[in-house]
Amino acid sequence: MIVVKDLVRQFKSGDRTIKPVNGVSFELEKGSLASIVGKSGSGKSTLLSLLGALDKPTSGDVVVDGVSLAGLPDGKLTEYRRRDIGFVFQQFNLIPNLSAVDNVMLPMEFAGVRKAARLQRAKELLEQVQLDPEKHSRRTNRLSGGEQQRVAIARALANEPKLILADEPTGNLDEQTGEHIIELLSSLSRDHNTTILVVTHDRSLAQKTERCFRLQQGRLTEEVRTGSRR
Amino acid sequence: MSVLARSVGNAFRNKIRTAAVVAVLAVAIGLALAMLVANQAVGAKVQELNASVGTTLTVNPAGGQGFEGGGEPLTTAEAETAASVANVTSVVGTKALRLQTATTGTTDTTTGATAQQGPGGGFGPGGQQATVSTNLTAAVDAGTLGNRNGSAGTTTGTTGTTQPARTLPITATGIGAEVDSTGKALDITSGSGLGDYATAEAKALVGTSLAEKNSLTVGSTFTIQDKTFTVSGIFDAGTTFGNNAVYVTLPEAQTLAETPDELSTMIVTVNSMENVDSTKTAVQDALGTDKADVTQGQRNLETAVSSLDSVKNISLIAFIAALATAGIIILLIMVMLVRERRREIGVLKAIGARNRTIGLQFVLESLVLVALGSVVGAVIASLASGGIASALISSNSTTTAATTTQRGGGLAGAMPNGAVPGGGGMPGGGQGGPFGGASQLLTSVTASVSPGVLAAGIAAVFAVAIIGALVPALLTARIRPIEVLRGE
Ligand SMILES: Nc1ncnc2c1ncn2[C@@H]1O[C@H](COP(=O)(O)OP(=O)(O)OP(=O)(O)O)[C@@H](O)[C@H]1O
Ligand SMILES: [Mg+2]
Repeated sequence: MIVVKDLVRQFKSGDRTIKPVNGVSFELEKGSLASIVGKSGSGKSTLLSLLGALDKPTSGDVVVDGVSLAGLPDGKLTEYRRRDIGFVFQQFNLIPNLSAVDNVMLPMEFAGVRKAARLQRAKELLEQVQLDPEKHSRRTNRLSGGEQQRVAIARALANEPKLILADEPTGNLDEQTGEHIIELLSSLSRDHNTTILVVTHDRSLAQKTERCFRLQQGRLTEEVRTGSRR
Repeated sequence: MSVLARSVGNAFRNKIRTAAVVAVLAVAIGLALAMLVANQAVGAKVQELNASVGTTLTVNPAGGQGFEGGGEPLTTAEAETAASVANVTSVVGTKALRLQTATTGTTDTTTGATAQQGPGGGFGPGGQQATVSTNLTAAVDAGTLGNRNGSAGTTTGTTGTTQPARTLPITATGIGAEVDSTGKALDITSGSGLGDYATAEAKALVGTSLAEKNSLTVGSTFTIQDKTFTVSGIFDAGTTFGNNAVYVTLPEAQTLAETPDELSTMIVTVNSMENVDSTKTAVQDALGTDKADVTQGQRNLETAVSSLDSVKNISLIAFIAALATAGIIILLIMVMLVRERRREIGVLKAIGARNRTIGLQFVLESLVLVALGSVVGAVIASLASGGIASALISSNSTTTAATTTQRGGGLAGAMPNGAVPGGGGMPGGGQGGPFGGASQLLTSVTASVSPGVLAAGIAAVFAVAIIGALVPALLTARIRPIEVLRGE
């Protein structure tokens, strides 16, 4: 259960302040699958970074399972990111000189998972995101954009987080692979009770989520569903 | 993939840069290690020098310094006076002779010798060093220096006599105990000593190179001033020039020089290091300043020791400076790497890496670079340190050797060829003598790379590297995970 209360994040650019997130409030049930849409530059990535404790809000709070992020010291925030969050970055942000498997193993290493266990899980995850087995040990700066995106998704799933924040997870994928990723995320929310929030420009992906929010002028509004979902 | 494996991988991410960094580090580390080795070698030498010549005083006739000056020769009576001074354990008199090879018939030698000794006192002022003839040939070739020195002597001396072909003189020293002219025990390699050094006897100790040159063995004979001497032992002074010498008993030398009771120098041994200074004054007072100059054999060595000490200090400073340089190189490289990988550090934090994990990763990465630099640096050091140490020391001893040349007059030119064992070349030459010993010791400084010193040096390098890497590693703690969203 995630409760977002009146979240504000402002930036100073020159003498102007911009507020891509300006009073956002919403709640997400555990295990729900939701999407955020909005124009480029509307603040979607900014909002996601606040939820993932990558950044601190100017004001407001995020409460995860009753724990307020605003009240946590840095060490606890690190633990929160490590244990509870799986973040898929818009720019993938893989470590370029490490192999796909090594990238996926990183969060597990930080969490203290034994080496053999992390290797096995990393391989399983890469198979789940349909990365060619022969590319598992390839350095990620030698993978295509779509391949990198899938490695990034596998890495986000590594520690079985309770909240997955995915910024355009299908942006670089062909329709079929994209479908598969959506299916993978849906099954996680269904079967593992994982809460999933995706940012997307992809209408068809947004259609498939239980709830869909639109970020506009710093505010979040929930789209009223017209058609039937799933 | 562990932190260590990641650090090693990161160290080689940009191979050309890594090579450049390692090269620069290797030079700094190599220099540091070489300086440490030099420092140790010189330090050991200083100790050795201090230990070797701790307690002897040299007494020369007043006003006689080298071959210049005049004054009255020392006498056996003065030796007794010196021996009665408190804290003096022994007094050994020496009498120096110069043996000139007779090349153009033996009849000429006496006149030749007299002539050389004569007008203007070209050699041996104050009658400290008599020249006598011998059938021995010097083991040291005259060479350019010898000829230059020789011609100066012959123009004053041998007017009217057939000019002999240039040969270097041989030093013969009459000694009152089985020690060389600095008071150091003689190293007799075959045969035996002269037995009773207080009686005149036609026996001699011959240096190895001189013996070889003249095919002498124990029991062989040769002549000095037409008198036949038997070789009773062969000694090794450690240097070519030092081995071009003959020792006879003191009374024998006095007889040959026709100056009974006269001494060229006296070697006074003091009972302990602490008493050297006070005893020096006491001996000086007992003999009178108009009669004798008392110098601390060590005094000349003190110059050497103090210059060695400064070499030691310089090398220590250079070691620290090179070490600091290595530290600064590490610091700057790591600061650069941290800035360059800001975004990546943000990624690691965003996926839950602790600050200390990231900090450790950077420290380890710097240690990998330092380890490579140390390996290359140690190779550089082991190649360079011998050269560096001997360069430091030889530049140091050349300056002092030059001084000796001035003092020693004609003969001293031969000194740089091979160090004189404690002034064996010219035992009468006060300051020149003991210094010969010093320069011999100096040239024998070898900077051997001992594993212990090297290990200590590398440990110091690593300590500095950790300090250098710590600041950048701590900087990573300040990088926020949101860096991950910033553009490169
Ligand atoms: N650190 C920052 N300093 C100043 N302005 C920033 C900063 N980060 C983001 N912004 C601005 O905030 C706004 C929202 O950025 P954000 O990246 O959240 O947009 P977005 O909705 O993710 O866009 P896109 O769909 O293109 O990814 C943009 O106008 C951006 O320029
Ligand atoms: Mg974005």
